[in-house]
Amino acid sequence: MLELKPPLVLLSGPAGFGEYLKLMDHRYVGGVLLKTVTLHPKEGNPTPRMADSDFYVINRIGLENPGIHAFVENVPELPVPMIASLGGDSFEEYLEVARVFKKVADRFHAVEFNFSCPNVKEGGLSIVKNAEEWKKLLNTLRKELPDSFLIAKVGVEGIFVEDAAEFVMKTGWDGITLVNTVRGLHFEKDTMILGGLSGPVLKPIALRAVYEVKKRFPELFVIASGGVYSVKDAEEFLKVGADVIGVGSALFKDPGVVEEIGKYLLEVKR
Amino acid sequence: MERLLLTKKKTIRVNEDTWIVLFEERIDFSPGQFVMLETPKLVRKPFVLGYWEDHTAISVQVKGKGTKWIVEEAEKIKGHGPLGNGFEKPGKGLLIISPTCLTMAEALRKKMNVDVLVGSRTPFQIPLEHETAVGDEEFLRKLSSTGEYDWYLVSGSRGMEKVCWEHLRGKEVYFSLEEYMGCGIGACKSCAVFTKEGVKHVCTDGPIFRGDELCWS
Ligand SMILES: Cc1cc2nc3c(=O)[nH]c(=O)nc-3n(C[C@H](O)[C@H](O)[C@H](O)COP(=O)(O)O)c2cc1C
Ligand code: FES
Repeated sequence: MLELKPPLVLLSGPAGFGEYLKLMDHRYVGGVLLKTVTLHPKEGNPTPRMADSDFYVINRIGLENPGIHAFVENVPELPVPMIASLGGDSFEEYLEVARVFKKVADRFHAVEFNFSCPNVKEGGLSIVKNAEEWKKLLNTLRKELPDSFLIAKVGVEGIFVEDAAEFVMKTGWDGITLVNTVRGLHFEKDTMILGGLSGPVLKPIALRAVYEVKKRFPELFVIASGGVYSVKDAEEFLKVGADVIGVGSALFKDPGVVEEIGKYLLEVKR
Repeated sequence: MERLLLTKKKTIRVNEDTWIVLFEERIDFSPGQFVMLETPKLVRKPFVLGYWEDHTAISVQVKGKGTKWIVEEAEKIKGHGPLGNGFEKPGKGLLIISPTCLTMAEALRKKMNVDVLVGSRTPFQIPLEHETAVGDEEFLRKLSSTGEYDWYLVSGSRGMEKVCWEHLRGKEVYFSLEEYMGCGIGACKSCAVFTKEGVKHVCTDGPIFRGDELCWS
């Protein structure tokens, strides 16, 4: 089992490689989900890469990352449990990334595979679209990393979350992160930003996803991801069954909120 | 880097849309560094640190709800910083700036030997001790008639950056860049800048870059 105290993680992307921890009391952070790492290094997309409105943040970072080889040579040292996030552009890349990661797997409490990044052409979202192929991939990755706590991160596009959760269970994975950003389009003056929406607009969608999955598979470990900005948001995700509360975009508004939520979770989840 | 809670002391209007905001608190920073400040918007915004009337100060161009709130309503402002790298140069420099960098110019003046040229689109509403230019035409005229300096630091709009880069070709020119920032601390990768050595980030590698390091296409 993955025991995080408190059951709160900083989500992949906004949390980077743990930079925000410098601004926080670590007692209130259960863990950090590191930025998604892919087989090859990625430069990311042209700017502007992010924008915010009253209700959402939109980003098209494009998975800028140093690549798995540089990552395993230089694993971050953080004062809280780390969960790695791995991604790929194809079946073969996911498998290769997992192979390289194996060398350092014991330094992580869990591994999340990102099957839902909307900002890269292949892989990400498109891998779940082909259900049979995805199931095969889940099976293969499970065999490749037999001792890791494996978490699949899925969104609400390309597959129903209930179906995704069923595959995840049947292939022997341990948990699921619900949800990733949803594809959106935002005008910044005359520039179109085609990216993923996060923040407050995502909360009702994420709540419903967690609710549906937990109703069907109460034993599946679920990390909630989408629009947590306050203790009240965290409370609602607990009510629908989330095992861990994820905080992402809220870091950009006020990293201090993590301590408030962490304190609350330590109290109710002792 | 600290978590900050800043108390607004007063605001001074510089031109049509730009204000200087003075704070009660002192912050220990190097010229060129910035802070991320919270507004009612969902993402904190970067502001370059500086001084005014012997107080820690920022300049704010009112562009939307968040900046309007800082100038008009805020009393206490949450944030984090100081962030980014400071800038220090020997020799005599010329700062070519928009009004939003007036407070930074004061910080640089304390440590370095610099002259200042401020270009504004609208008339100034306070007297300034610097060389000023209102409108593009006057700005270009003054830019052409400046003497020789050891180095130049440009901080203004993209348009101003481009004009200066063309005009000062071959000289040692630095640019204080702006890019949308989500975190200010190197976590989110939103503030990418494509340089000749690959992707860098305004918040951690900058905000000040050498002109010949940047890709100008
Ligand atoms: C700037 C940014 C970058 C992100 N990068 C990643 C990433 O690399 N991998 C990933 O699995 N999710 C990524 N996400 C999605 C977040 O982990 C999270 O699932 C999503 O933002 C919803 O949560 P929130 O509303 O709390 O932000 C990113 C989100 C943002 C805003
Ligand atoms: S603003 Fe987040 S990496 Fe620079």
